[in-house]
Amino acid sequence: MKEPLVKIRDLSKLYPTGGGGFLALSELDLDIPAGAFMALVGPSGSGKTTLLNIIGTLDSQTGGEIEVLGHKVDTLDARQSAALRAEKIGFIFQSYNLLPVYNVYENVELPLLLLKMDKAERHEAVMQALKWVGITDKMKSRPNQLSGGEGQRVSIARAMVKRPKLVLADEPTANLDTENSVNILDTMLQINEETGTTFIFATHDQKVIDYMKRVVTLIDGKKAKDDLKTGN
Amino acid sequence: MLLKLALKRIAGNGWRSVFNILILFLVLMGMLFIQGMYDGWMRTARRQKEEWEIGAGHFEHSNYDKYDSFTFKDSFAKIPDHIQELIRQNEVVPILVFSGVLYPQGRMTPISIKGIPWDQALLKIPSQMLRVKDEYPGSLPTVIGQDMARTNGLSQGDLVSMRFKDARGVFNAYDIEIVKVMATPVSSIDESQVWIDFTVLNSLVALQNSATLFILKDEATQLNLGSNWRYISQKKSLEDVLAMMKADQAGGYVVIALLLFLAMIAIFDTQILAVFKRRKEIGTLIALGMTRRQIIRLFTYEGCLYMVFGTILTAILGLPLFIHLGTKGIPLPQELSNLNVGGFSETMKSYYDPLTILFMLIMVFVLTLFASWLPAAKIARMKATQALRGKV
Repeated sequence: MKEPLVKIRDLSKLYPTGGGGFLALSELDLDIPAGAFMALVGPSGSGKTTLLNIIGTLDSQTGGEIEVLGHKVDTLDARQSAALRAEKIGFIFQSYNLLPVYNVYENVELPLLLLKMDKAERHEAVMQALKWVGITDKMKSRPNQLSGGEGQRVSIARAMVKRPKLVLADEPTANLDTENSVNILDTMLQINEETGTTFIFATHDQKVIDYMKRVVTLIDGKKAKDDLKTGN
Repeated sequence: MLLKLALKRIAGNGWRSVFNILILFLVLMGMLFIQGMYDGWMRTARRQKEEWEIGAGHFEHSNYDKYDSFTFKDSFAKIPDHIQELIRQNEVVPILVFSGVLYPQGRMTPISIKGIPWDQALLKIPSQMLRVKDEYPGSLPTVIGQDMARTNGLSQGDLVSMRFKDARGVFNAYDIEIVKVMATPVSSIDESQVWIDFTVLNSLVALQNSATLFILKDEATQLNLGSNWRYISQKKSLEDVLAMMKADQAGGYVVIALLLFLAMIAIFDTQILAVFKRRKEIGTLIALGMTRRQIIRLFTYEGCLYMVFGTILTAILGLPLFIHLGTKGIPLPQELSNLNVGGFSETMKSYYDPLTILFMLIMVFVLTLFASWLPAAKIARMKATQALRGKV
């Protein structure tokens, strides 16, 4: 049987607080196969973002095991986890997190600079990513000249430009209207189907949930439900 | 890659970058101006002292103490024959020093009487004016400095009585005529001193061809004078004046330190502000795969690039000014020239020693590096998840 892209066993995350600590994740078991298009849902404080951060190697667990793309997260040192993120994981943020001093092209090019890709290759990859999200005409614009929908498209292009195995999207539609949300989701679903890239969303937006092939519900840091949808 | 990113950042920072670069430019200009002026002043003072008083070094009689006029009567010896040729060739200038008293306008002023050959061309003292043409002149031609003239109310053409004790201890007196008030910048050949011809002074004090000092044109000249004489190098002679300048320069260093402090505050402020303002961006960079070390380097490069641009601006805008200061200089007001402080009597030219400039640039660079690195080091402690949420 094929190894899952993300393998989680008895995962827990305890944040130290004054009153003994806050358990953000507890006894979590989850397998996420390659090519998944899934969401982690649940109310605020249920542990969605925490789990996303641990999968993205930005944080580490306090108990249990998690393996991402064949790497045990808690055994990676800072350099190794940075390399894993640079090469194989893309991030999409709620408020896009575009770097304001760079234009659209440069924002999308940034992950490739970290991979030390040569200029011609970089150009080709950036243009391809901008084409995917349909924003080639804005490539000279600065982030502050873009609408919310355009900003998030650039953010998707930046996440996709290095052809990652895994894209983690934290509330990607929270700042968008319905039309832009739908456009964004269509784009991501299309990329998922064309490239086989795994998408994991953290969201409580019903529009996003409706697009998902699988929805894992977290409540108080524990897996409450794991729905595999068909027909999408 | 990081350098490119840092460059983009600086370009994107707009006016804040411009202000930072301007501050560094002003600091560098200020530092170079102050240091250049001090170095220029020192060189001028040294040159003037060399041209007017000490030559390339000198020998003095072992009994001679320029601060104690009671030693003068025992501080001379006959000039050895082998030195005569060097004197004729203007390689050596003998000077005889005696003490005396001057009576300007009825007052009594103790003086040093210095005899210098009228035909010497080594020192700038206008000794040609001292030439005695008559065998029995009514008054002796003398030269005094402007300070001496001012202090005693003397001027060119004045006749004054001078009394002295000769080598045998016999008192004698003579009228002297001030034939020239020399505008010397070197006070140690001016204050309380009267210059007359070397041969004339020898005959006045009942000596023949005797000297207290031998001023050398070339440091390497060997006089083989024996144990009654000691050699005083140019460096040793300059010790006092250089010590005075160094003491004054300390004030300049305080200004330089303040300027440096200002520059560092500007850089540090910008960078620490950037840490707080850009924490989300830092989190994003970490998420994109940048290591903490790369982020520290990115911020440090930014700070250093300010320094590079500040240096380039200084080179472009400052070079013409510094060339002007080095070649044409700043004319000093008469009041300052009258102070008779070494180096203050003529146009003040700055001097830029490449090593000093390099040292200053390195110093500013190292401090800039530190001021940029310090806030960046704080970033290194920031957790990516907190940074992404905009927390530190």
